[in-house]
Amino acid sequence: MDVLGQLAAGFGVILTPANLYYCFLGSLVGTLVGVLPGIGPLAALSLLLPFTFTLPPVASLVMLAAIFYGAMYGGSTTSILVNIPGEAASVVTCLDGHEMAKQGRAGAALGIAAIGSFIAGTLSNIGLTLFSPVLVAVALRFGPPEYFAIMILGFVMTLYMVAGSALKAMVMLALGVFLSTVGMDIVNGAERFTFGSVNLAGGFDLVPVVMGLFGVSEILLNVEQFARGEVFSRRIRRLLPTFRDWLDSWAPILRGSFLGFGLGVLPGGGPVTASFLSYAVERRLSRRPERFGHGAIEGVAGPESANNAAVAGSMIPLLSLGLPSNAVTALLLGALIIQGVQPGPMLMVQRPEIFWGVIASLYVGNVMLLILNLPLIGLWVQLLRVPYRILFPCVLLLTVIGTYSVNHNVFDVWVMIGFGLAGYVVRKLGYELAPLVLAMVLGPLLEQALRQSLIMSSGNPAIFMTRPIAATIVLLAAALAAVLVLRGKRLALAAQPTVEGSS
Amino acid sequence: MRRVAALLSLVLLLGAVPAFADSVAETRSRLAALKPADYPTQPIEFVVVYPAGGGMDTTARLLAKYVEKYADHRVIVVNKTGGAGFIGHTYLATQAKNDGYTVGILANGAWTDAILKAKGKWSHTNFEAVSFVNYAPVTWIASTEGRFKNRSLKDVAATIKAEPGTVKVAIVPSISFEFLAEQVETAAGGTLVKVPFQGGAPGVTALLGGHVDIATGFLSEYRGHLEAGKVKVLAAAAERRTPDMPQVSTFNEVLGVKNMVWSAWRFAAVPRGVPADRKKYLEAALTAALRDPELQAEYRKTGSIVESPYASGAQVDAAIDKFAVLEREFFTTTGRLPK
Repeated sequence: MDVLGQLAAGFGVILTPANLYYCFLGSLVGTLVGVLPGIGPLAALSLLLPFTFTLPPVASLVMLAAIFYGAMYGGSTTSILVNIPGEAASVVTCLDGHEMAKQGRAGAALGIAAIGSFIAGTLSNIGLTLFSPVLVAVALRFGPPEYFAIMILGFVMTLYMVAGSALKAMVMLALGVFLSTVGMDIVNGAERFTFGSVNLAGGFDLVPVVMGLFGVSEILLNVEQFARGEVFSRRIRRLLPTFRDWLDSWAPILRGSFLGFGLGVLPGGGPVTASFLSYAVERRLSRRPERFGHGAIEGVAGPESANNAAVAGSMIPLLSLGLPSNAVTALLLGALIIQGVQPGPMLMVQRPEIFWGVIASLYVGNVMLLILNLPLIGLWVQLLRVPYRILFPCVLLLTVIGTYSVNHNVFDVWVMIGFGLAGYVVRKLGYELAPLVLAMVLGPLLEQALRQSLIMSSGNPAIFMTRPIAATIVLLAAALAAVLVLRGKRLALAAQPTVEGSS
Repeated sequence: MRRVAALLSLVLLLGAVPAFADSVAETRSRLAALKPADYPTQPIEFVVVYPAGGGMDTTARLLAKYVEKYADHRVIVVNKTGGAGFIGHTYLATQAKNDGYTVGILANGAWTDAILKAKGKWSHTNFEAVSFVNYAPVTWIASTEGRFKNRSLKDVAATIKAEPGTVKVAIVPSISFEFLAEQVETAAGGTLVKVPFQGGAPGVTALLGGHVDIATGFLSEYRGHLEAGKVKVLAAAAERRTPDMPQVSTFNEVLGVKNMVWSAWRFAAVPRGVPADRKKYLEAALTAALRDPELQAEYRKTGSIVESPYASGAQVDAAIDKFAVLEREFFTTTGRLPK
């Protein structure tokens, strides 16, 4: 198959004024919804879906896809500037991105996020162009036992992610898993921990939880500091990453690209998981892991690249199989069907202009987003000059609107406020929130994969060791956990004399 | 210049460009004649209780698009999701205003939730049907490379009996997908391994990966793979063979039973007590859209059957009453409801 020829034909489809316009429009809207806290790509896509009805299929899909990856570019902005993630995939960007902003390096953080996103987006487009058929076959081999293994690996990696106490992180993980069990049981439909409430029957929605934990609690913490007069200095040193930053960032960007792309291809994976895992990997691989959580640029570069790469990765099952790997691609699938296009393995054959047109648009859109986002950095950092008494009420209002817009349910707003207060208390006690969010994302997937696997094997846990892919991943997770335990023991031993000597 | 043109076209999208065919104009004026003086003065909301992008959402958005073709007001689709549809159903049955501005685009789940989950707080009679929309039967599919590649449903039933507990079928718990599998177990005289998924499409993925032997789903969820020759349809849980798949036999005819009829049966309904003139207008508007050949073609493409056997909303209500009785019976015999 002549891939380059077909890609060229795809560019022929996309490089028309109308299609370029819709690609630009999608990129712009995506950046905006990414920046606005609470309004994620999913909410934006469902609101805008009707407007694409009368567009031709290619234009419609190009625009909707651009919103999706545009949101990944924009999502980091508020994470870095005010420590409130614009959408779930930018949660980890808060950890170091906001620290960088506090040190006056908001520009460098925003710059590396945009450029890393661009590199990752382009690299994974190349992957998408070249390897679609092969990757589809690999992704299909991942059944429930393999997913369970990946989830276990994810949990172990989280412990590498935290800067503070591993014990406290485990408490947060356990709490997250517990909270994820609220709602209807996935196998027999029994209600768990709902106390008879209709609103809890579906469990906690991720958006209000993330907005509350990060957004509301951040505002509360800031109000407290403001009242005590401890506002951090808002000097802005330079707008672009330094040579040193580049040296630190190139490898995380590359790793983030590969990781995000791989996780995006897998059903159930996606930008959120990819960004979390990338952060954990970078911290693990860093020679100076103690810098993480205190403004390490790798902690921004890796995850921001990973979430963008995951978008391109998730286009593979969508375009070549018609299988959505997450809620946003499910919506894109719906958009295709409304357009009268049947997604599936025949799409590439029957409607090559759609398949290759959309792929070509991903290249174009990433360039547009880079051009759009770099000049915006100067504008965004000016946001830091807005007085808190004006900025924070505005942000709070946006989080309320964003949360309400997802399900049109006022209950979600109460959930957001409740988690906001809880997040404030928990942060005051020195617990990190990222493991809690990750556990709430992975918890339901873990439970589903575990129960599906055990149903398939009639209750025999050997199923995780008899399938080669699952067994490899489980062993890797076990090895990583063992390293952590051993290192902890060594640290404890090494720490003992110091404790005696110092105090 | 181009940008201005594109911007203009986007503005036009908001006003849904009318097509000036003769019959369309006629239908429009007939509909306008039925329109009450004070209604609708604001957009009508189509409430979908499942997430955006799914089959139900697609159905509603297409319907909204074609209602706008004939009516001179906006129709907005709102997804009120959560609790596998239960939150939206409860909202429509107990909280939504009966002023004709809220229309539920619903399916079987509306009465199943009423029977199994509403605990007597509301029932399917809290809704009044406006119109039948379309329906698609639940089907069983097998991979063309898997364990049942050259086998029929009869062979599958024989395997279930001969080697109970070895045939893996992908289901969605607590809905028709699971109920159908239970009925097949009873009819075949053996047990299945029922692997739970959160929807038909993930089950189809698992089938393609060889993780299950059979997947349950609607045609729209696997049409692409069917055309590519990756999967084949074993049987449809319909009363009679469907015009879309005349060569596919029904569960009833193969297994010699009468009760294996499960489908996505979609209809539009309003909360009880909408003023008669408004309901009549809604009925007419939906009928006009549903008779549009283009909309029918769109629905057929998604694997749905559009021919309506019901002449009025009242007849749809009667049909739902009948379904609800049958389903309650199934739930009491299987122990899901106390006798």
